[in-house]
Amino acid sequence: MSDDKERGGLKGLADKAQDMVGGMVGMASASTAGSHNTEAFIANACMGDLYEVEAGRLAMQRARSDDVRMFGEMMIEHHTTAMHQMRSALRSREVTDALPGAAPTMELDDRRAGMLKHLQDAPDDDFDKMYLDQQRMAHQETVALHKGYAEHGDNPQLRSVALGGLPMVERHLKALGRIGVH
Amino acid sequence: MAFNPLNERGIPLERQLRNWSELNVQPYDTRDVHPYTRCRVILMNGVEVEAAMFSHNFNRNLADVEMKQRLQRVRRVEQQQQKAVNWLIPGEKQENAIEVTIGYEQVAVDLTAWLARHEPDPYLKQVYEFGLLEDFDHLYRYANLMDLMGNGRRAEEITGDYTEITPGRPTIFEHRDPRDDIRRPMTVQAAHRQSILNAMTLVSAEQQTMNYYMTVGNRPTDPLARALYLEIAQIEEQHVSHYESCLDPTVSWLTNWVLHENHECWLYWSCFETEVDPRIKALWELHLSMEIEHLRIAARALEEVEGKDAAELIGAGYEAPMTFEENKAYLREVVSRQVDLTAWDSEFLPVEELPEGHRYFAYQAQVNAGGAPSEQVIERHREEFGGEYRFEPEGEHPVAPLRTEGPHAELGYWRAGAGDGVARIA
Repeated sequence: MSDDKERGGLKGLADKAQDMVGGMVGMASASTAGSHNTEAFIANACMGDLYEVEAGRLAMQRARSDDVRMFGEMMIEHHTTAMHQMRSALRSREVTDALPGAAPTMELDDRRAGMLKHLQDAPDDDFDKMYLDQQRMAHQETVALHKGYAEHGDNPQLRSVALGGLPMVERHLKALGRIGVH
Repeated sequence: MAFNPLNERGIPLERQLRNWSELNVQPYDTRDVHPYTRCRVILMNGVEVEAAMFSHNFNRNLADVEMKQRLQRVRRVEQQQQKAVNWLIPGEKQENAIEVTIGYEQVAVDLTAWLARHEPDPYLKQVYEFGLLEDFDHLYRYANLMDLMGNGRRAEEITGDYTEITPGRPTIFEHRDPRDDIRRPMTVQAAHRQSILNAMTLVSAEQQTMNYYMTVGNRPTDPLARALYLEIAQIEEQHVSHYESCLDPTVSWLTNWVLHENHECWLYWSCFETEVDPRIKALWELHLSMEIEHLRIAARALEEVEGKDAAELIGAGYEAPMTFEENKAYLREVVSRQVDLTAWDSEFLPVEELPEGHRYFAYQAQVNAGGAPSEQVIERHREEFGGEYRFEPEGEHPVAPLRTEGPHAELGYWRAGAGDGVARIA
């Protein structure tokens, strides 16, 4: 094993561990703040979609498996739609009356930016597995976020956004269960 | 003063049925009917068709036999109402299909404009203005077809001088990937009551327009006329999807029934308040009295089954009647601002901001391959008459590239590459 490869392997393990810890933090956050707090729901839903689109682009460029590339392409399309739905909701009277000035979050937080960095840095051999691992965690988090807000959120229009997006994210999670890395 | 249908007494259901001769009403006279009376007739026919089709779909999804019977009793009357309204339109020899088509497009223009102007939700207002410019363009294309079909009557004889006839967002560019017709729904819980009424009105009107073109579009013999009808019928399908996706998809069938009856009350009340023809005004009044009872029946069903109070859905009553009136200045302002907009999912943006390779361009290339009838009808009018048909009493078109001799290539759609391979108007 070359030094570079060894460094990549060690770094890859560290990145994966960091993603997992981050994923657990994300799950906890989605299940608590994002489920009840409207601002947190907007921010987390927007960042989740932004992350999915960027990660999908990386998958289309770097994935070796056709299934992973196709999944990445689907993530770009579906999460762009989700972003547009959120933007439209934020311009509706149902939201502007309750939350004047509410705007979509356009930048990733450190945790999600770190996940993208790990994907960018992943050695070619490891990319597909790291992408799928991140996807499972990210989608579990998004399911928890949407389910929570749909049940407990206080803005009807944003509850409708959560309810409207939830089946799609659940289908993604199921699809991930069928994709293997060969 | 607000009109609240829940505070009014309607005609008991058992007294609402009419015999065949009562339903076979005397049509209006096409030579002296007010253009907006024709518009009200076309609109209310669409509203009754929606009432009937909603009720049939509800029936197909309902196991409760006694409730099915209640629904059926009301539906039979709604069907009679549809006949009494639609039979006001005279027969083919007085007003032919293309002339009625001009009436349908005048409805689409002045109805959508009024609803957009009175829409309290900024997102929905944008949705309506987007659709408005497309129907505005259809009126212009059909008006040129009407000239070509040659019975000597011109479109402005149908529309009066209330509505300009000039390009909107060119029809050729309205064809979009189906995914880009789906909008963000409102919620019945939080939406302004007027927003619910406005969206239901547009769904009914556009659905009827779609159905009408689906049915009469193959009646002409001329291939170009048949082609124009089918092209615009496809856009009407887009419009039905566009508007119906604004409705709350989570309400129960019973809640939806109450909303439908309330919607009919609002529009019959509006027609009654604004009608200038005394004979037809009496029909609107009669139907309003019937609908008040339908609403009471639906409200009772909602209370019995779901324990919900219909008053919460209706609010304090209607603030203003929907009014057919001139919207020329508003149309000019909207077309100036928004002619280059397109849709991406639920959002609207200038076509030139779409990313390269966006699905819009692939869809355009596919359906417009070989040319668009909506362009060909203008080209043929120019060939046969030495110019196109327009009715622009307010002056030249506000968008320079859309003037008769305008710099057409400067329209954002052409610049963005939509319509590539299709011959442009000179």
